[in-house]
Amino acid sequence: MLVVTRKKGESIVVGDGIEIHVISVGRHGARIGVTAPREVTVHRREVYDMVVAANRSAASSDALAVSALASVLRHRAGAAARRSHEVDDAPCQLA
Amino acid sequence: MPASPLVVPDDSQPVKTRFGTFAGRARDIVTLAEGLPGFESCRRFFLLTSPTLHPLTCLQGLDEAGPAFLAIDPRLVDARYRCRLDDLQLRRLGASTDTTLLWLAIVRVTESDGSTVNLRAPLVIDPDRMRGMQLLAGHDEYDTNCRLD
Repeated sequence: MLVVTRKKGESIVVGDGIEIHVISVGRHGARIGVTAPREVTVHRREVYDMVVAANRSAASSDALAVSALASVLRHRAGAAARRSHEVDDAPCQLA
Repeated sequence: MPASPLVVPDDSQPVKTRFGTFAGRARDIVTLAEGLPGFESCRRFFLLTSPTLHPLTCLQGLDEAGPAFLAIDPRLVDARYRCRLDDLQLRRLGASTDTTLLWLAIVRVTESDGSTVNLRAPLVIDPDRMRGMQLLAGHDEYDTNCRLD
């Protein structure tokens, strides 16, 4: 790993078009700005790791439970549609 | 993109997945140019639907290891869910502003501790070009594991 000392206002250039700026350095952390081409995504490590964990977990979904879940979801959607239909069709109530 | 040995004719063909075999056509293949975090080597996925899966959609990877996922329109889970891209995200996707985008939230199905849906990091797909991406910090107010059932 390349380790460099940078002060507030200084930056590091990575490859073509990526620049990492040190905006401020405080007791609770450093504020970092990143400029990058739009095809390059920039994320906090923990955000990326959280999505990795969610995706890996979803890729091992239980195949045997899928049709039952789909059936529950269809039933729920049908019930919601019926409820909204009833509201639309409700006759005006006279006081 | 490297040439693939897999030839997919334009007409429908059976596509085997962990969740069953479904009819897939070449135009049902979406390219996620940035890949899905955790599965970066797979960029192309069949989007498969069937009466038995409905309202779920199956994403079956075509590239190496071929992971399979289930997903659902997040608005079917929460009617208040907002599905909008900002200008930068729209440019990254390469979609025109008048395209109606397809939104999918990845579902994790388990029998033991219930099924969950990732409303925090949804997939967004431009159906005209069949290009998509996962928004890693799409909706901070939702979790990656919202209860589904």
